[in-house]
Amino acid sequence: MRRNTTPRPATRPTHRRPLVWTAGSLTVAVSLLLQGCGSGSDSGSDDGRTKLTFLNQSRGQEAALNQLAKQYTKKTGIAITVDSPGPSDYLAKLQAKAQSRSMPDVYSSFDAVDMAPFYKAGWAMDLQPELKGAWGDEFAPGVIKMSTFTKDNNLGVPAGVYSVHWETQAYGLIIDPKATGIDPKTPPKTMDDLIAALKASNKDGKGNFLVAASLTPNLIPAFASNWLTDEQISATYAGKESWKEDGWRKAFQLLVDMKKAGVIANGSLPGGNGDNPAVETSFFNKHEVGAIFDSSAGVSVGKRTAPDYTDYSSMSVPAAADAKHPPRSTGVPGKGAVVNPRGEHAKEALAFVKWLTEPAQQKVFSEQALILPTSPELLAGGSIPSQLTGFAEASKTRQIVPNSVTTDVYTAIVRGTQSLVLGEKTVDQVLDDLESAQGRS
Amino acid sequence: MASLQARIRGSRDLRRNLTALTFLAPAIVLIGVFTITPFLQAILLSFQSWDGISPDTPFVGLENYRFVFAFDAFWESMKNVAVFGVVGFFLGNGIALAMALAVNHIRRGRTFFRTVFYLPGVLSVVVVGTIFSFLFEPRSGILNHLLDLAGLGSLQQNWLGDPDFALPAVAAVFIWFHWGFGFLLFLAGLQDIPAELYEAAELDGARAWAKFRYVTWPQLAPVTTIVSLLTLLAALQIFGTVQVLTNGGPGSHTLVPTLLIYEEAFTNNRYGSAAAMSVLFGGALVLLSLIQLTIARRRSDA
Repeated sequence: MRRNTTPRPATRPTHRRPLVWTAGSLTVAVSLLLQGCGSGSDSGSDDGRTKLTFLNQSRGQEAALNQLAKQYTKKTGIAITVDSPGPSDYLAKLQAKAQSRSMPDVYSSFDAVDMAPFYKAGWAMDLQPELKGAWGDEFAPGVIKMSTFTKDNNLGVPAGVYSVHWETQAYGLIIDPKATGIDPKTPPKTMDDLIAALKASNKDGKGNFLVAASLTPNLIPAFASNWLTDEQISATYAGKESWKEDGWRKAFQLLVDMKKAGVIANGSLPGGNGDNPAVETSFFNKHEVGAIFDSSAGVSVGKRTAPDYTDYSSMSVPAAADAKHPPRSTGVPGKGAVVNPRGEHAKEALAFVKWLTEPAQQKVFSEQALILPTSPELLAGGSIPSQLTGFAEASKTRQIVPNSVTTDVYTAIVRGTQSLVLGEKTVDQVLDDLESAQGRS
Repeated sequence: MASLQARIRGSRDLRRNLTALTFLAPAIVLIGVFTITPFLQAILLSFQSWDGISPDTPFVGLENYRFVFAFDAFWESMKNVAVFGVVGFFLGNGIALAMALAVNHIRRGRTFFRTVFYLPGVLSVVVVGTIFSFLFEPRSGILNHLLDLAGLGSLQQNWLGDPDFALPAVAAVFIWFHWGFGFLLFLAGLQDIPAELYEAAELDGARAWAKFRYVTWPQLAPVTTIVSLLTLLAALQIFGTVQVLTNGGPGSHTLVPTLLIYEEAFTNNRYGSAAAMSVLFGGALVLLSLIQLTIARRRSDA
């Protein structure tokens, strides 16, 4: 009988060793993994001091926010950590935080459509009861209404107010008087006048006006408001009225008219991830075009990227020649905050947000980031920079639309207007696409 | 006696297998946690409705698949990505092979060209996108500027804004970005071909084309299989380049499934239909890879 020559006692430990090492490393790996996946809280008070976290979306207001946070800490002893992942990563980071249930105490508000899932999941405090008091009087008329979710809104958010804002955002035209021949004191009264002015100043024939494809969902409703009321616009967003209404057809046709007149630069609408920054660069830095469609926040970008260039002004989108109503800028609440009611320090977070919206703090935002405040006191104070006066005017007649454009419709407008300007699609085809997109929503 | 031997052999095999499995365990766990589980979760999610935030994920049966099948943009994006696949496969690999042949042929400056040709692959996709956004700018872009300087002003284009040029422009950026990888592998493959084969071919009177056709190409077959498969998959999974340069535009001319899936999940908050798109698109990729590998295996067996 042959014996197994392998000395057993000697081999056993060598077989066990990898097993032990593997088991050990697996334990470490799994525990690290579980630690990573575990729910944590962004707020805390380990050293007995209340700490709040603010997830900030805006780059332009980051410096002002940090300055105000320090000031608040000095005043109250509450430590504030401002986390600014940047505008492109903001929503993804907020989603990740919601999924891991480690939401910040306060976070920036964004478009209603993007924020709706957070509001529906209970990650936002309903501020309506608070705003009914004296706090509500600190905002210009219409500001709170614009961020109010009414009953049966198309996003399915329970009725309430989930965000407060220290910025009034309006959309309009930023124009260089020299490059367009437009006198800001006597701006064009109709779209025809505007097109004529842009055509006359289009010396190289390459076009003198630009709008980013991603901003057309704000331009088209502004055009449409010439023929549609806010109620009709809101009903269309909710799918209760058709996109094939004449008002929408005429709105898209205005864009076609601009293309036909040759005033749209390069005969196309810039797309891509950074389309609007590219449009702003084209205006503020390269001076390639004399007019752009942008939000009031664009002025803040101009100040940051081209501080020496101040010879420009803003104006509302002029009326169409056959307008039924005065045109109105799309109503989008500007920069603001949402309070997490499930945070450890929801009460303190609310107090901080209330403090941020006080006129003194709004003034810091307004001066540092060059934005339009929401405080009636500041708006009436006459301290608005000349570049923002057109936007300030536009903000007085903004659309108050309780429903929101769904993301499908938004994408369809972006893609549709690009195709329209390129002459690949007709207005009717774009309207058909919008109807389909509304159906998908 | 025989049974005892068999038992000893069996226990030795078992021990050996156990040792091997022990060493493989960390990898198996990691693959299980980070590859298999998300894959299965994606399949599960494709039958559910989820907005990415809500704790509720109700089952909706085949609703997401019905939605995707009726979604024109998805099929349009599939058509666009097929163009990227074809261009990446033929043109991308062709250029990489041509560059490898050229560098393999030269005696001086081989290290320089190897570094220069591989350099694009080192850059981040966002950097590449930003560089080419500047290059393709219709008014101040370097490309149009150079054309103007060369007296070819009539060839100036709105490279990313014109539907006729947007897809080819993005495809060109993709090729530039990815050629380094194929180039390096082809070069390594070329350097592995024994010189005797070329000497024998020369003795038989073979010229350059015959040497390539009957020596280089068959000897490179294993490398070609791997490179072409990986390039094809990279082309079909193109995302960052498109997102930064055109975001799928103008219109939907450069829209690709990965971008659409991203938009569906992170913009439209419809993770269920995004997962259904992922399953369909991922399934198509797996199928395509299997077909290509089968063809390559048959060719090498023949």
